[in-house]
Amino acid sequence: MEHATGLVLPNSGHNRDAEASKMGMWLFLFTELLLFGGLFLVYMVYRMLNAEAFLLASFELNIALGTINTVVLLVSSMTIAMAITAIQKGDRKTSVLLLYVTVALSLVFMVIKFFEWSAKINYGYFPGMEVYQNLPAGESLFFFLYFFMTSLHALHVIIGAVFIAVVIYRTNKGFVTAEKYTLTENAGLYWHLVDLIWIFLFPLLYLIH
Amino acid sequence: MEHKNEQPNEAQGHHISSYKEHFSTLAALLLLTVLTVAVSVFGADLRSLSVATALLIATIKALVVAYYFMHLKYEHKLYRWLLLVVVLLFVLFLVVTSIEYLNR
Repeated sequence: MEHATGLVLPNSGHNRDAEASKMGMWLFLFTELLLFGGLFLVYMVYRMLNAEAFLLASFELNIALGTINTVVLLVSSMTIAMAITAIQKGDRKTSVLLLYVTVALSLVFMVIKFFEWSAKINYGYFPGMEVYQNLPAGESLFFFLYFFMTSLHALHVIIGAVFIAVVIYRTNKGFVTAEKYTLTENAGLYWHLVDLIWIFLFPLLYLIH
Repeated sequence: MEHKNEQPNEAQGHHISSYKEHFSTLAALLLLTVLTVAVSVFGADLRSLSVATALLIATIKALVVAYYFMHLKYEHKLYRWLLLVVVLLFVLFLVVTSIEYLNR
């Protein structure tokens, strides 16, 4: 890099700033919270207007599968938090192993979600299907929101898994070390957000009877 | 293992949470999950109460995740203030919208 004035800046290309990077991730997570917040707002309003219908429709969801998926996400949150502990201690092998476990758990979550969605689609509850069209207005709204919110969440699960896969690759390449682990931390923050959203989706969709 | 709990305002992420701490956090979260499912399954007749408890338990779980897994407890307090502002903003949306709909 050349400067016409010949001035050399004290910062010569080393632009790593762990704190700013982490703050950037948190600010992004706040926008994510408000994105899902908007959907929770819509859910609240429609629920107030269609209390009985939402209640009836929510009985169609499988509490057992929802609970298993909650446990899967909570465990995966712990494994990625432990992966950060491991890399902070300089234990790259354990860190990578825990990241692999986290990705594996994200796949388990998606497979269970896939079976849940398939069951609902087989009943014809997917927006646009015949059974869905003939449901009372409030119940079809519930299923619309169910599919919209869980699939937006699932999209975040997939993005999170890809993010973690990138961290595994970078860690194996030696770019992530005990002194430089912001990438792992940020992947962890993102993954915990995915968990946080599910912590609210699960009771609102499955449990509130 | 180093514990610098006394200095939560440390600028860089010096704090290293132990594996044990993460495991205890998970145990607490699983316990709360069992509790919320039990309230829903066995307390179905107490309808509005079960909505309130479900949301209360979800909020506690979210705070546990944020404080321990996301290290919020050990970060600079600016992070906690920012989160508080965002959450209050969202609660304001909820309250204002509810008032609007309940007065129709």
